[in-house]
Amino acid sequence: MAIQYWRIRDRYYRLIGSRCTKCGAESFPPVYRCRKCGSYEIKDAEMPKTGRILTYTILHEPMPGFEAQAPFPLAIVKLANGATVLTQIVDSPEESVKTGAKVRATLRRAKVDGDSGQIVYGYKFIVEP
Amino acid sequence: MARTKAYVASVGFTKVAEHWESSILDLAVEAALKALKGVPKLSPQQLFVGNMFSSAGASQEHMGALVASALGLEGIPAFKVESACSSGASAFNVAYSLVKSGAIDSALVVGVEKMRDLEPEAVSQALAMAESAEYTQFVGATFAALNGLLARHYMERMDVTRDELSALPVIDHANAVAAEHAQFRRAITPEIVARSGMVADPLRLFDCAPVGDGAAAVVLVNDSGASHARKAKMAEVAGGRVSTARFSVYEREDMLDFTATKAAFREAMKQAGLSPQKVDFVEVHDAFSVVGALSLEAMGFSKKGMGSKDAKAGKYGPKSDLPVNTFGGLKARGHPVGATGVYQIAEAYLQLTGQAGGNQVEGAEYGVTQNVGGVDTTAAVHVFRGAE
Repeated sequence: MAIQYWRIRDRYYRLIGSRCTKCGAESFPPVYRCRKCGSYEIKDAEMPKTGRILTYTILHEPMPGFEAQAPFPLAIVKLANGATVLTQIVDSPEESVKTGAKVRATLRRAKVDGDSGQIVYGYKFIVEP
Repeated sequence: MARTKAYVASVGFTKVAEHWESSILDLAVEAALKALKGVPKLSPQQLFVGNMFSSAGASQEHMGALVASALGLEGIPAFKVESACSSGASAFNVAYSLVKSGAIDSALVVGVEKMRDLEPEAVSQALAMAESAEYTQFVGATFAALNGLLARHYMERMDVTRDELSALPVIDHANAVAAEHAQFRRAITPEIVARSGMVADPLRLFDCAPVGDGAAAVVLVNDSGASHARKAKMAEVAGGRVSTARFSVYEREDMLDFTATKAAFREAMKQAGLSPQKVDFVEVHDAFSVVGALSLEAMGFSKKGMGSKDAKAGKYGPKSDLPVNTFGGLKARGHPVGATGVYQIAEAYLQLTGQAGGNQVEGAEYGVTQNVGGVDTTAAVHVFRGAE
């Protein structure tokens, strides 16, 4: 099923969501009609790469395919533009993963489709030192 | 079309359990036959099957025609209705709308889920399909993970303690002791919840509803259909509504605001012409302890931030003014996902017709059921009244 991720690789690689050209509201994942003003005038937009942890969890029983990483932190990050992203937190000391912590986006291997399948890359976030 | 009243005229269900000897069809048929035998002169005009993942759980789709055929009901329109964990109450709501409008006079609603044929990881994967493949499943998040994120936010922002969060699971398990169809019939303590294994910090195993197989069925009639069910005890469906929210919990402006439940409850109560003070019991969708608490807040029974605290203070116990999850709720009766909403409705029927046995809420006149798909992404709320 890697193709469904490959299809939107640009969204994963550059955090591309949507922006309303009428009122400026930005969303990630993208929306196709503005949630704020109802406009249909929506364009793709690159999201800011920094934000803060709104809440986090340490996942002990992950989805199949992610067992080797468990337990690992997941967070909802509020980006500088107000959009929110669900993401893994990587390369950050355990005690640094806290509500309010400043984070920045990075590109990492996200999914491996078996021994001979495609390797899919995507965004993860790191706590700013 | 003439609008009439709508009633639940009969119910049937299996025990929620690991039904190794039963297929998904066996379970659906067992529950349906029990419900149909309660109204022997009635033949339902349409069938609605509430089910989430028969394809993943039992390699089976086309559930509507399959169940209709097995029940000798071939010929009638039959549909599967899917809205993740709220599939059961969504199926009921579609049937209710048709019966209430007078478009049809009777309907059979069967909620069913076969979960335990799958390995636990495969169950996680099947449940996660209720969430975005590209943005939730992609990052390795399970359903429990989303609820863990929500629980931490709830505890930090509303200053909720571990013991307060445990209060609803404790009530559920106490209520399930006398419930013969419940999956887990042992009382627990807050210490047991706090010591159980970590699933998605801060959520532990006993914050989470279990995995089980089950089916529940109800027969719906309107005033015309009721003439074929004269001897049956009836509970009126006084109101019902399905509502949806922004798809994923992380897309919402305030994660603690369960807008789908709020809107569905408001509209269902308006249809019923009822003020919340008149409600005698509530069956709440506590797939996770935090979801039960936020649901009670969204319906206005608790103030914002007070759901778990009120539960701890005794507001929702079996002898309180507003008993919650009178047969154990999702946590202890069990949560065979597509069946859960129909179990809740069947339980409300038992309460309002005086057939709840050791779980009877004395003098119950009005009951509310709230069934949720996703993290309050779809909410289906129904209000029931005991018929004279």
